[in-house]
Amino acid sequence: MDVEEVKERAGPREFSPADDMPEEYRKAATRMIQFHANSEIMGAYLERPFVRQSPSLERKLAFSAKVQDEIGHGQLLYRAAESLGVKTRDEMLEELANGEGKFLNCFHYPMDSWHETPMIAFFVDGAAMRRQATLKKTSWEPYAHAMDKVCFEEGFHVKHGEHILAELAQGSKKDQEKLQEAFDEWWPRILQFFGPTDDKSTHHDFAADVGLKQMSNDELRNAFLNAYVPKARKYGLEIPEYPRIEENDDGTWKVREDDLDWDEFFTVAKNDYEGSHEQIGKRHDTQEAVEWVRDVLDDHEQRPMGGAGPAAAD
Amino acid sequence: MAAEGLAGPADLGDDEQEAVELLLHRLADDEFVLAERYTEWQVRSPTLESDLAVANVAQDELGHARLWFDLLEDFGYEEQDLIWERPPEQWRHSTLAELPWPDGGWADAVVRGYLYDVAEDLRLGALEDSSYGRIRDRVGKVQGEEDYHLEHAQNWLERLTEDEDGRGCVQDAVDRQFAHALTLFEPGDPDLEERIDDLGLRTTPLSEMGEEWLRRVVPFFESLDVDTPMSGREDVTADQLPAVVGRDGDHTDDWFDLYEEFTHTYDQVDVGDPVRIMEDPDDE
Repeated sequence: MDVEEVKERAGPREFSPADDMPEEYRKAATRMIQFHANSEIMGAYLERPFVRQSPSLERKLAFSAKVQDEIGHGQLLYRAAESLGVKTRDEMLEELANGEGKFLNCFHYPMDSWHETPMIAFFVDGAAMRRQATLKKTSWEPYAHAMDKVCFEEGFHVKHGEHILAELAQGSKKDQEKLQEAFDEWWPRILQFFGPTDDKSTHHDFAADVGLKQMSNDELRNAFLNAYVPKARKYGLEIPEYPRIEENDDGTWKVREDDLDWDEFFTVAKNDYEGSHEQIGKRHDTQEAVEWVRDVLDDHEQRPMGGAGPAAAD
Repeated sequence: MAAEGLAGPADLGDDEQEAVELLLHRLADDEFVLAERYTEWQVRSPTLESDLAVANVAQDELGHARLWFDLLEDFGYEEQDLIWERPPEQWRHSTLAELPWPDGGWADAVVRGYLYDVAEDLRLGALEDSSYGRIRDRVGKVQGEEDYHLEHAQNWLERLTEDEDGRGCVQDAVDRQFAHALTLFEPGDPDLEERIDDLGLRTTPLSEMGEEWLRRVVPFFESLDVDTPMSGREDVTADQLPAVVGRDGDHTDDWFDLYEEFTHTYDQVDVGDPVRIMEDPDDE
């Protein structure tokens, strides 16, 4: 199939491994799905310490289940990415550990306190859910299929995040202040989650033309702001004055791009931010520490009786 | 055994309640603390599949801790009394549960899992006919999940020890942890433990369970060409135990650090009672 034919046929779940896809499509889809899979893993990295920090037993169970879900999403997405035949999962995981793999901007920032957890678990996950819901109609069928399960589980995650937010919002004055501080700090990053405005986005045109991407950055950010600005206010959070966001008469939002720090955003995108080094470094070090186990597993696979065993828990 | 023996929680005598409480703490504290340690492996284990498996095991153990803590709530305790505000020196778990993992110590995780899961299997077997109905009714649910844990740990050990380096790591992990595993069968308070047995709360005494445990784990490790300090011996003597055994409230320094970490947020936030988001275990 050539690119022109792909563009003509592009529609929801149109292409699968049975189709002979051009390299340009396979590479673009791999880039997008690998980014998504990496983000699940790095999100789980950021949140795992809060399983321990959870201040109730049932909250701890819910937090642990959430982190587990994210690992499962990563596993599912790497499989969808592998199905394009460009990279193996091991290659993608290696790229993630050595700093070549890209992932969501928000997961490059450290998260230190419990008051920050709803910033990821409610706002970032809520933003992600918007984007993911549209990807159920992406043209690469294995990706869309993965989104069915991911979206279903994300619904629970956002409720979990909202519940923590509600709890803190009703806490002491000190808790409310800390919550607002966390919101002030995370809000610009959350706005940048959707990437630069459409006219600055480099990958959008092709991804949209071949049906990989269904909505533009601006459209997604608008939909998010429509839903989440009222929710933030409902929990007593004040929207910071800067970056300026203005509601248009037609229900859309104008975000003053110049109020956002795009140098920082693109530094993050290149994995070159201070937090990037820290987060990727952690992943690198913990993966290196258990390299010996993977070596044992590889040797085992090469034995005549090797094969199914404890690694095949899925 | 006479399974009808004891009354419900509201009608127990003080001596009976004291024994039930110690027994429940042995169960709940072990599960909770071990789960805390297991969660450290989530997203940090060798493969995504083992990440998922260890997360499953951690959640099962936390779920079991929740079932046993819930039975302590029958006596009027609240979650904060049982977990968040209970002084660390009153926790009754075995020191095996609290030990930190060395860097890259995946062998420690599977060795600990195996040592613990065999003990758990024996311990739950001794509760099937407990004279206390509230415990007896929950044993089956816990057993159903523990079978998988044991199988998971055994498979990993078999696989790791096929490789010479892997076997070396398993041996080191056994050397580091075996003495602490012996504390799984140590009494919290000898008189109370005897009362637990006399009341039929537990149908096998700790000493017998310990012997049975050795008859299972020592030959299994030998079959993998891994030595244990108890190879060729039958009796556990005091010199084989670690300096602190956990069961009596004495713990390693690592436990106090872990306690500080997991109570940190609880101490910091002021949002009332620990939140409940699941159904009551009695209604599940």
